[in-house]
Amino acid sequence: MDIVVIGIGQSLRGDDGAGLAAVRRWQEAFPATARRVRVETAELPGLGLLDLLAGARAAVLVDAVRADSLAPGAVLRLDPEEAAAFAPGAGSAHGWGAAETLALGRALDPSLAACRIRLIGVVGADFATGAGLSPQVRAALEAAAAAIEEEVGRLLSP
Amino acid sequence: MRENIEVGALARVEGEGGLYIGLTDGNVTEVRVDIYEPPRFFEGFLIERFLQEVPDITARICGICPVAYQMSSVYALESILGVTVSPQVRLLRRLLYCGEYIESHALHIYLLQAPDLLGKESALELAEVAPEVVKDALRLKKIGNEILKAIGGRSVHPVNVCVGGFYRWPDVEPLRALLPDLEWGLKAARECVRWAKDLPYPDLEVDYEFVALHHPEEYGVIEGEVWSSKGRKTPVTEFEKAYLETHVRHSNALHSHTVEGTPYLVGPMARLNLNHAQLHPQAKEALKESGVVLPLRNPYKSLIARAIELVHFYAEAIERIREYRPKGPAHAALKLKAGEGAAATEAPRGLLYHRYAINKQGRIQRARIVPPTAQNLPRMEADLFALAPKLVKMEHAEATLTAEHLVRSYDPCISCATHFLKLTIENK
Repeated sequence: MDIVVIGIGQSLRGDDGAGLAAVRRWQEAFPATARRVRVETAELPGLGLLDLLAGARAAVLVDAVRADSLAPGAVLRLDPEEAAAFAPGAGSAHGWGAAETLALGRALDPSLAACRIRLIGVVGADFATGAGLSPQVRAALEAAAAAIEEEVGRLLSP
Repeated sequence: MRENIEVGALARVEGEGGLYIGLTDGNVTEVRVDIYEPPRFFEGFLIERFLQEVPDITARICGICPVAYQMSSVYALESILGVTVSPQVRLLRRLLYCGEYIESHALHIYLLQAPDLLGKESALELAEVAPEVVKDALRLKKIGNEILKAIGGRSVHPVNVCVGGFYRWPDVEPLRALLPDLEWGLKAARECVRWAKDLPYPDLEVDYEFVALHHPEEYGVIEGEVWSSKGRKTPVTEFEKAYLETHVRHSNALHSHTVEGTPYLVGPMARLNLNHAQLHPQAKEALKESGVVLPLRNPYKSLIARAIELVHFYAEAIERIREYRPKGPAHAALKLKAGEGAAATEAPRGLLYHRYAINKQGRIQRARIVPPTAQNLPRMEADLFALAPKLVKMEHAEATLTAEHLVRSYDPCISCATHFLKLTIENK
């Protein structure tokens, strides 16, 4: 279980919950793969993300992203360095977005710097408070689950 | 610079707030800290809830200081029912609080405020030049979260606290297992004070009225009287007579002031200035060694107060774990009755007051929560007003940054401070 899949987001902040929903959809659609890795969901891990990554050789992080230039529901695949371009606004009440925390952790911890990390981002439409995903993001969950499956499959193959 | 200064969103502050400085003919005439995080209806959520649900609901007000919200609520509710908790429950409550102070202070000192003082944009930039400092910071913080986890089942929003005590005694072993880390943390916290005393703090001395909980026998956190540096000593039950909350148009948070109408300051500087005689000997030693002279009056230097408290709470945590020997029931039996009661405890950010009225079935009829950040908002605005003539001479980016630094030094927890009030509109 040295591979971890982490869904990140606040389920009470609209499309911010896309990462959680995508990981759950993937677990349902691909149970055999999901059983072979460690799966975590975290509403607002902040610096706790580093604890979730501890001991992992490779990780797939799934999170919502804000990107005005991209259509809501688009599924992105990024390296950690690319994720820095999606630095957080004030959307998170705790100031530590996934990209920022990851950059801090990788700067300080050689084992985390060596960890193979892929990020799957789902472009959200609406991040207002309240439960529920927008139709565009709901429609994108299948594609996001397929992307998770492909990334995890690549990490599992020798 | 002649235009108004508006800082849309403050980064690295809990919750979301904005700042507005208004100019007329180049003179500063208005300063507002705007709160636009959606109002939190916690006082309303609690109505008709059974009292035992309250600590777990109020804990959700803040992810950094859930323990304070649990503790003020249980003490207020216990005061109605006449519950006295056992010494071991009390010890465990102090220990839980130690965990919260440790994680909250380590986060603020190193990752939120130090980058400002050292001219770094973020902790990430600080990590590039001082990786060991940031590594220690993360470890110092994590140990605090580990205490919360060992007592409350998880590292954020612990769930074991109930009116009357704890649902079950935490196991002794996981707590004892933290001792080596805590010993390391105590040394690192002493080192933190040595480092903190020489940081480049901007000059700003303010004649604050400091307000904090005071306990004659221990560093005031739970129980005791509300003391003010102007000599006022207020029993907690009289708090609302001495300190009033009013609504201001630009903020979802209520603003507090003394009964004389003046702003006051709660938080680490207030506690240290009023309660340094009750510090743990290790923290007293750290204070003495630092050469820091009390009272501290510079808001930026609240970092030093946090560092000294970090020593205190590491030292106290070690002692409490060594003394922890669970025996008998983990919580007192409750005998329900109708009534009203209030309590205050010290959250890492300052005094947190709760008042509840319950009916004879133990259901909440009224709830009042006065968080530390709401109490500090008028003080924050007054300090920004004093700083404003300097700000208006700066370039916009520099002015923004300078104002942000001051606001962040208060460690405001703006998401906690926004709760809803009943609105009355009067047509004149």
